[in-house]
Amino acid sequence: MELGLDNSKLQLQPQNLKQEQKLLQQQEQHFHVLAVDDSVIDRKLLERLFRGSSCKVTCVDSGDKALKYLGLNNIDEQLDNNFSSTKSILESSSPDSPPLTPNPLQLKEGISKVNLIMTDYCMPGMSGYDLLKRVKGSYWKDVPVVIMSSENVPSRISMCLEEGAEEFLLKPLQLSDLQKLQPYFLKSLDNSSDEQESANSSTSTTDFDDDDLIDNNNSISKRKAMSPESLEISRPKMKGLARGIKSSCILLISLIMIMFLIMVFS
Amino acid sequence: MDGKVQLQKQLFDYTASLFQEGFLDNQFNQLEQLQDESNPDFVVEVVTLFFDDAERILNELTTSLGQEKIDFKRLDAHVHQLKGSSSSIGAQRVHEACIPFRNFCTEQNVEGCLKSLQQVKHEYSLVKSKLETLFKMEEELLASSLADLKVV
Repeated sequence: MELGLDNSKLQLQPQNLKQEQKLLQQQEQHFHVLAVDDSVIDRKLLERLFRGSSCKVTCVDSGDKALKYLGLNNIDEQLDNNFSSTKSILESSSPDSPPLTPNPLQLKEGISKVNLIMTDYCMPGMSGYDLLKRVKGSYWKDVPVVIMSSENVPSRISMCLEEGAEEFLLKPLQLSDLQKLQPYFLKSLDNSSDEQESANSSTSTTDFDDDDLIDNNNSISKRKAMSPESLEISRPKMKGLARGIKSSCILLISLIMIMFLIMVFS
Repeated sequence: MDGKVQLQKQLFDYTASLFQEGFLDNQFNQLEQLQDESNPDFVVEVVTLFFDDAERILNELTTSLGQEKIDFKRLDAHVHQLKGSSSSIGAQRVHEACIPFRNFCTEQNVEGCLKSLQQVKHEYSLVKSKLETLFKMEEELLASSLADLKVV
């Protein structure tokens, strides 16, 4: 009997793996990267790196164009309008306040969801840091933003990570850097699988999260510049850690409930 | 067949010498790794983009340094661009020549900038001719391989 159970478990595992691989491939094919860099050479490199992983890549040469693509370019005008209308509303003491972030419906038609933003730090006009701030204060705040720079400046790195950048990579980018971004491909897969699958599969997604955490911790390596306040690097990882802990808690609670039920009915 | 083998050896030795002499660094290897059946001309495409970009920047630098009142901030921004793009294709010597140039821009040292510009131009013309030679050798090797296929 035990052997039978084991065999059925073994049969399920490869099927689960195949399903996950298939989902990963499908997800990667739809994984949309917005690459922002003023250098035509670096844009070409980024495009090749991500297209090679079956991702969709959109390249723009400035922060302004990136905001335009994300539907955030009129945000200043909106803010001005909102502030003036908010002011008049407050004066008439109404409880309602107009939204300050663009309604998703207001976004241009035909723009597919962006899953990752790769931006150069040093650009004429709007810097990568300014773009990061704007993105993190908008509808797109949950999209991971990765900053790239040819200069290893610890204060710059800390500043970007504190503002919510997921990673800070040194240029020129290499294939090994792409591997470091795998967790973000998987996270987006994780999010879609959470919506589609039941609690039984939460074990597999938890494993993904745990692996992501291990990979993220190991990825603080030579290629990623070390900052004196290296503890700050772990701060953005806390979101992933919290998610992992949450999934583990749910699993633990379900196990305890099952044991309780077994005890009650035995 | 002997001709082809000889071409292969020449290409191998020439490429090795470019790395040994510091003209190219590991980033150039990265570009080669990104070249495959789906992207058969990737290296040539990226390097061509670099040539165009570098020449544009060098012209701008020459113009800027020829002016009465030099905008050192703008000068530095251009050198930074060239430093970045040369690093992205693995043109190590050009990249290294940009470093003292940036320092002179910060110091607003005109003479230093002029000397650095000469150095960068020199390194650029060297790596350009080396890479063009490399691409020509690759073309010859490819032509020789195709000729072999036709004979067979």
